[in-house]
Amino acid sequence: MGAKGTRKRKLTVHILRDRLGLKPSKELIETLKKQNEIKNKIFKAIKDEAKTVPEIAKETGLDTTTVFWYLMTFYRHGLVEEVGKTDEGYFKYKLKR
Amino acid sequence: MGEIMEKILASAVEEKNEKEYDVLIIGGGIAGEEAALDLAEMGFKVLLVEKEPSIGGHMFLLSKVFPTLDCASCISTPRMAAVAHHPNITLMTYSEVKEIEKRGEGDFRVKILKKPRFVEESLCTGCAQCESACPVIVPKEYDFGLRGRKAAYIPFDTAVPKIAVIDIDHCIFCGQCEIACPVGAINFLQKPKIIKVKVGAIIIATGYKLFPIGRKKEYMFGKLANVITSMQMDRLLAPTRPYNAVLRPFDGKEPMNIAFVLCAGSRDRTVGNPLCSQVCCMYSIKQAQLLMGALPLADITIYYMDIRAFGKGFEEFYQQAKDMGVIFIKGRVAKIEPAENGDVVVYYEDIENGGRLKKAVHDLVVLSVGLLPNPDIAKAFKNVKLELDEYGWIKPKDENTNPVETSIPGVFAAGCIVGPKDIPDTVVEAAAAAAHVAAYLKEVRG
Repeated sequence: MGAKGTRKRKLTVHILRDRLGLKPSKELIETLKKQNEIKNKIFKAIKDEAKTVPEIAKETGLDTTTVFWYLMTFYRHGLVEEVGKTDEGYFKYKLKR
Repeated sequence: MGEIMEKILASAVEEKNEKEYDVLIIGGGIAGEEAALDLAEMGFKVLLVEKEPSIGGHMFLLSKVFPTLDCASCISTPRMAAVAHHPNITLMTYSEVKEIEKRGEGDFRVKILKKPRFVEESLCTGCAQCESACPVIVPKEYDFGLRGRKAAYIPFDTAVPKIAVIDIDHCIFCGQCEIACPVGAINFLQKPKIIKVKVGAIIIATGYKLFPIGRKKEYMFGKLANVITSMQMDRLLAPTRPYNAVLRPFDGKEPMNIAFVLCAGSRDRTVGNPLCSQVCCMYSIKQAQLLMGALPLADITIYYMDIRAFGKGFEEFYQQAKDMGVIFIKGRVAKIEPAENGDVVVYYEDIENGGRLKKAVHDLVVLSVGLLPNPDIAKAFKNVKLELDEYGWIKPKDENTNPVETSIPGVFAAGCIVGPKDIPDTVVEAAAAAAHVAAYLKEVRG
């Protein structure tokens, strides 16, 4: 909200959307919903305890490839940290506080 | 490019004023950068156009270079910065050369499409707050899909220029990036522009495309998570790697038995690329050596037809890999199949042991993919024809005596657009092209 007496500025993204009649595709929205679900499941699994990819996959019901891909995306965005490694060659990951 | 960007680009407006430069260089990889710096140091005004949001090409994505094992990004990043800051070089990123007309010797009129980043270049500080705020994740091109990026993103940590870009085709128009930007740099009303320039000479340095190995269906790329390309392996070994270590995409486990399949998509008529890509043997040996360092207990096997170690120090580099314990098996890999727990079965012809068909299980397979030409720029020439060879590489005027001059006087070529080659040869060719441009401009301008 702007200063008292001023109108809230319309975002340029909304001006473009309205001007060209743009909207995200149904597939993109569905993908985003699925991504949020995956994110919530992974974050919940590693919130309190560091886990390996197979452990997270088992707990969330997701496949290991999906878990690892998102985990590395979150890792590179600074949301997840590695905490040690198992003898089997799996790193353990935990949600950063 | 998706539908939304296409719709936006269709509204591009041509600028009235025409700018003038001595030289246009198309492509901001190592060849384009080197040629630009050489010409700029000679005093020529250079316009460097790159279609991606950052310059750097393929080189800065690599881990190390062969056979010296010098850090690739330590060599290329200072070059990228030097290009961006040189007073004689004007850099246009996220821009494409659309039309080239030759009006006479030393007189080319060029139209360049500047795509909107939806971010004001003069305001963006590269802080990545837009990226943190964006809720959409898509595969990251610069990591060849090994992890995700946001729809609002900084291309990579050492991008030049380090300016965010909005992937409008994956945008959900939520405005989170615009709200998060602390300097008000996000501007979705930014429009595409057609910029007109007049130049005296042109260097084409658009490089190569990686062979789309999905076309070789028996290698199961895209079907099996633990079958990756050599470029993906180079990313895994690079300091700017997508993971925290060298790990299998299938489950994040450290691989212990890695195979390289050479000539994947080159020297192969069945996929339409009979040529040798010249660099695959050596970059695979490089990666094998780096893996021996990163994973000292891992077994590394290279399946090959011939090892072509033809350059200075290459044979010694090959012998060094053998001495380190890399296993070399002469035999073409026929097919790849899944095994248990993400492992992969490789079927090959064991040529040195009677040519019998054998199979071996590995926990990660690297396909050493070949190079293809990137000749799209040929379509931009309107009243003159840029000659290509039968495979699509630029055909030099004379392969032996003048390898950097094209069929069009005043248009030169450097690097992998002329044919597959390694980085030192690319740099030499860029310097040669720069020298030819200087001589050409002196001749036509008197």
